[in-house]
Amino acid sequence: MSAPPETATNTAAVPATGGDAGTARRPRSRSLAGWGFALPFALLFLVFTAGPVVASLLMSVTDLRGTDLLDPFNVDIVGLDNYLRLAGDEKFLTAAGNTAIFVVVGVPLTMALSLLVAMGLNSGLVRFQTLFRVGYYLPVVTSIVAISVVWRFVLQPDSGLLNEFLGLFGVDGPNWLNNQTFALPTLIVMGAWRNLGFGMVIFLAGLQAIPKDLYEAATIDGARRFARFRYLTVPMLRPTMLFVAVITTIGYVQFFEEPFVMTQGGPLDSTLSLAYHTYNQFGFGNYGSASAMGYVLFVVVVLLSIAWFKLLRNNVD
Amino acid sequence: MNRRLLATVAVAALALSACGRDAEDSGPQQGEAVAGGNASGEITVWAMGTEGEKLSTLADAFMAENPEAEVKVTPVPWDGAHNKLAAAIAGQETPDVTMLGTTWIGEFAKTGALDVVPPELVDAKAFFPGAWETGIVDGTSYSVPWYVETRLLYVNSSVAEKAGITSPPKTWAELTQAAKDMQAKGGAKWGIYLQPGQTGAWQTVMPFVWQNGGDIYDGEKFVLDSPDAVQALEYYKSFYDSGLSSRDRLREGETEPKLLSGEIAAFVSGPWNIGLLDELGGEGKYELWPMPSGSGDFTSFIGGSNMSVFKNSKNRDAAWKFVAYLMRPDVQVKWYQTVADLPAVQEAWDNETLAGDQQLKVFGDQLDKAKAPPSIPTWEQIAAGVDTELEKIAKGTTSAADAAKAMQSQASSIGTGG
Amino acid sequence: MTEHLRSRDRVARAALYLVLSSGLVLVVGPFVWMLLSSFKPEGEIRAIPPTWFPHDPTLANYGNLFDRLDFPTFFTNSVVVAVLTTAGNLLFCSAAGYALAKVPFAGKRVLFGIVLGTLMVPSIVTIVPLFVLSSNLGLVNTLAGLILPYLAQAFGVFLMRQFILSIPDELLEAARIDAASEWRIFWQVVLPLCRPALATLGILTFLASWNNFLWPLVAATEEETYTLPVALALYAIGQNRTEYDLLLPGAVVIVLPVLIVFVLLQRHFVRGIATTGLK
Repeated sequence: MSAPPETATNTAAVPATGGDAGTARRPRSRSLAGWGFALPFALLFLVFTAGPVVASLLMSVTDLRGTDLLDPFNVDIVGLDNYLRLAGDEKFLTAAGNTAIFVVVGVPLTMALSLLVAMGLNSGLVRFQTLFRVGYYLPVVTSIVAISVVWRFVLQPDSGLLNEFLGLFGVDGPNWLNNQTFALPTLIVMGAWRNLGFGMVIFLAGLQAIPKDLYEAATIDGARRFARFRYLTVPMLRPTMLFVAVITTIGYVQFFEEPFVMTQGGPLDSTLSLAYHTYNQFGFGNYGSASAMGYVLFVVVVLLSIAWFKLLRNNVD
Repeated sequence: MNRRLLATVAVAALALSACGRDAEDSGPQQGEAVAGGNASGEITVWAMGTEGEKLSTLADAFMAENPEAEVKVTPVPWDGAHNKLAAAIAGQETPDVTMLGTTWIGEFAKTGALDVVPPELVDAKAFFPGAWETGIVDGTSYSVPWYVETRLLYVNSSVAEKAGITSPPKTWAELTQAAKDMQAKGGAKWGIYLQPGQTGAWQTVMPFVWQNGGDIYDGEKFVLDSPDAVQALEYYKSFYDSGLSSRDRLREGETEPKLLSGEIAAFVSGPWNIGLLDELGGEGKYELWPMPSGSGDFTSFIGGSNMSVFKNSKNRDAAWKFVAYLMRPDVQVKWYQTVADLPAVQEAWDNETLAGDQQLKVFGDQLDKAKAPPSIPTWEQIAAGVDTELEKIAKGTTSAADAAKAMQSQASSIGTGG
Repeated sequence: MTEHLRSRDRVARAALYLVLSSGLVLVVGPFVWMLLSSFKPEGEIRAIPPTWFPHDPTLANYGNLFDRLDFPTFFTNSVVVAVLTTAGNLLFCSAAGYALAKVPFAGKRVLFGIVLGTLMVPSIVTIVPLFVLSSNLGLVNTLAGLILPYLAQAFGVFLMRQFILSIPDELLEAARIDAASEWRIFWQVVLPLCRPALATLGILTFLASWNNFLWPLVAATEEETYTLPVALALYAIGQNRTEYDLLLPGAVVIVLPVLIVFVLLQRHFVRGIATTGLK
C-alpha cells in the first residue's frame, strides 16, 4: 500500500527486526485472531447466503419447474442443457445486448458523475454541505414507483417537460419511452440520475481519508489542480474507486427496476434487460432455466469484476 | 480448503442423485366430501389487494353465523403475490384458504398443493360458465370462482354523438366504421385505443379470435394459427394500418384523461375503469358498448379471482365451508357493495343493486358470453409470447399470418406443462 | 500570488455552485413533486398536464394512510429490523473486513473470493431456497427471520475491506510492537479511523434494510410481521390500478427515517478526523 510520502516521520523509527522475539508465535496467533474476527460473519454468511446459492446452483442443472415445488427432487437432471439452450433463445440474446449497452455506457457515466459531485462538495469551496448531500442522495432512497410517475410526466411526448424544453429550441422531441432508438438511452440517463448519489456517498468517505496536508504539500510544490487530481487523488482513491466500480457494475448488470416500471421491456424488447428476462422466467415457473440465466449473469459480473480488479487493484494485494 | 471443496461437491452429487421424475398419474379426480354442521377452529385466509383489506367484513359475518370458528385474514400485496405463494408452497407454509388469480390456477393446481373441490359444496351451474372453467384443470375442479371481470368498450359520449352513432356497433365492420366516424366527424384524434402489444394485450385481442369462432387451445393442441385466428389478427392489425389506433402504448393513468378529453374516442377495459373515470369527474361523459360479435359463441375475456383450499390445511372442512359461504348470492351482493367486485354467481345479478344499474347490465350481459384462456400451468409464458407477437403486429413489423405462425410454434414448443 | 489564487478560487466557487445547484434541482425535483402531490386529491395527481402546487390542498391522503395502515405495528417492525440489521453489519462486517485487509491468515483469499462471488448472484435466484431454509429453521414469520439472512452482508465486508486497506500498515505495526492484542488494535486504532466508512455502511445498510420488499413479503405469513414497504404495496398497488393518493404520502413517510439517518450519519464525512491518527 502506498504510504504517505516523507511526512510520516515515525515510520523510519520502526526497526525492521523489532518483532523478532515473538515472530515464531505471531503468525499462528494472528491467524487465529484473523479467523476470530471473520467467524461471526463467515457463519451467518455460510448458512444464509452460501447455502441458498448452492441450492440454486443445483436447481440450474435440473428441469425444475414451478409445478415441482412440493417435491423438488422429483425432477430430471439435464446437466448443462439449460445453459446451452440460452444461445438459441432470441429474447435472451436481445436482453444480453441491451444489458451490455447499459453497463458499458452507464457505469462510467454514473461513476464520473458521482466522483465529480463528491469532489465538488469536498473541495472546501461549497457551503450547505448537508443540503447538497441529502439532495443528491434523494433519488437513491425514493421509491421507484413514485420516481417513475414523475419521470413519465417529464418524458411525455406532447406535454412533458423535456419536450417542452426542447420545443423552446425548435426541436420536436420524440416519444422517448415508446421509441425503439431512444428508450434505452433514456433509461440509462435515468439510471445514472438515480444512482449517482450512491457513488457520491462512497467517494465522499474515500476522499475524507486523504490527508489534507498532502494537498497542501503538493500545492506548495507547484502542482496545479488537475495534476493534484491525477497524481494524488486518483491513486489514493483506488480502493474506493474499485469498490464503486464493482458495485455499480453489479448493479447495472442486474438492472431491473427501470425497465420494469417504465417500459416493461418495450418497445419491442429494446429495453429488456437480462435481469428482467430472468425475473419473467421465474414468474413462469421455469426455475431450472431461470437459475441458469441467473448464473450466466453471475459469470458476466465475475468477469467484469476481475477486469476492474486488474485495472484498479492495490499494489499490495 | 481442498477438503472443503470436495465435501461440497460430494453433498451436491448426493443431492442430485436423489433426483428423477416418476411417472405421473392423471385423470379427473373427485374431492372428498365435507362434513355438515357449522365451521369451527381457526381458518387462515390469504387474499390480495383491496380484497384482502376488506375481506374481514365478510369474515366477521361468517364468524357471527359460526361462533366456534375463527377466521384470520392476511392481506397480501398483488406485487409479489405470485412469488410469495410459490415460496409458501415450497416451504410448506401455506394457509388454509387462498385467493388466486384465474390465470394462476393451472400452475398451482399442477404443484399438487391444492385440494380438489368437494362435490356438492357448490353448484357448478350457479356460476358463469367461463368463470367455472377457470377452476378446472385436467377435468378436476381445484378452485371456485369468487368474483369476475370482463372487458368491453368505454366510449366518449359526446364524440359518439357528434359522429352520429346511435347504437353500439354489433359487427366487426360496424366497429371499424364507428371508429372511423368518431375520428373523422366526432373530432377524436384516435378512433379507438387498442393496446399495441406488451403485457396483457392478449386480453384485448383474444376476444377478436373468439368472436370469429377461433380459439387458443382445442383440448388437444394449440390452434393459434387457424384461419379464424389469422383473420382476427388481421382485423386487429387493420386498426393500426388505417391510423385508427395509436401504435404507441399508453400507460396507466394516461388513457382515462384522454378519453374524457375526447382525444381517444374509445378504449377496451374492465369494470375498474368506472371508478377511475368517475374520480376524474367523468361521470355521465362516457358510455359502455359490448364487444362486437361474429361467428363465434364468445365475445370477450373473463377474468377475476377464485378461492382454493390447500391440501395440507389443518382445518379443511371449515375452510371449504368458508369458501361456500362466500359464494352465497346474498354474500356475493354484499361483497359487491363493499368493493365493487362483480359477482361470479349468476343469481347475485338478480339483486336490485346490480339489476338496476345500467352500466352493470352491459357487463352482466357480456359475462354470459365471456371465455377464459386454458387453465394450463404454462399459460403465462405462452401469453407473454402472444403479447410479443401482438406488439410486432401493432408496430407493423410483421404480418398477421407470420405472427400467428410464430405464436403457434412458441406455444407448441412450450407445451401445456402436463 | 495570493491575490491571483483568491480570484481564481472565487470563479471556481461560483462555477461550482452553479453546476451543483442546477444538478440539485434536477435530482430533487421529482421528490418535491412527490411531496407536493401527496397533498392533492387523486384526480389532480393523475391530471395531464401535471401540476406542481396543489389546487386544493388536503390532508386527507395522510389521514387515509394512517387509517388504513396499522402504522405503529409496521413502523416498529421496520425500525427493529433495520436497526438491528445495521448494527450487526457494522460490527461483523468491520471485523471481517479488518481481518481480510490487515490480518494474514490461512484461507483469507478464498474467503474473500467466495464472499465477493456471492455478491454477484442476483438475489431473485436465492429467494425460494432461502425460504425453504428459513422454514426448516423455524424462522418463518418472525422478525429474526427477517434479520438473520441480512445480518452479515458481503457488500459490507467488501466496503470495509477496501476502506481499511487504505490505513497505513505502519500504524498497526506500531501498535503491535506495543504488544497490543488484535482486538485492541481493532477497537482503538482501526475503528476510529473508519468513521467515514462506518457512516457510509450504516447509511447504505439501513437504507437497503428499510426498503427491502421481496424478502419481508415472502417471509411473513401474517400481517403482524409485515414491514412498511410490504404494507404500503398492499394498499397502494392494485391489480389494475395504483392508488396514488395512498402511494405518494406513503412514499414520503417511508423516506423520512432514511433521510434522518442519512443526515445524522453524514456528519461523519468530516475532514480532519481521519488524519489525526497519523500525527
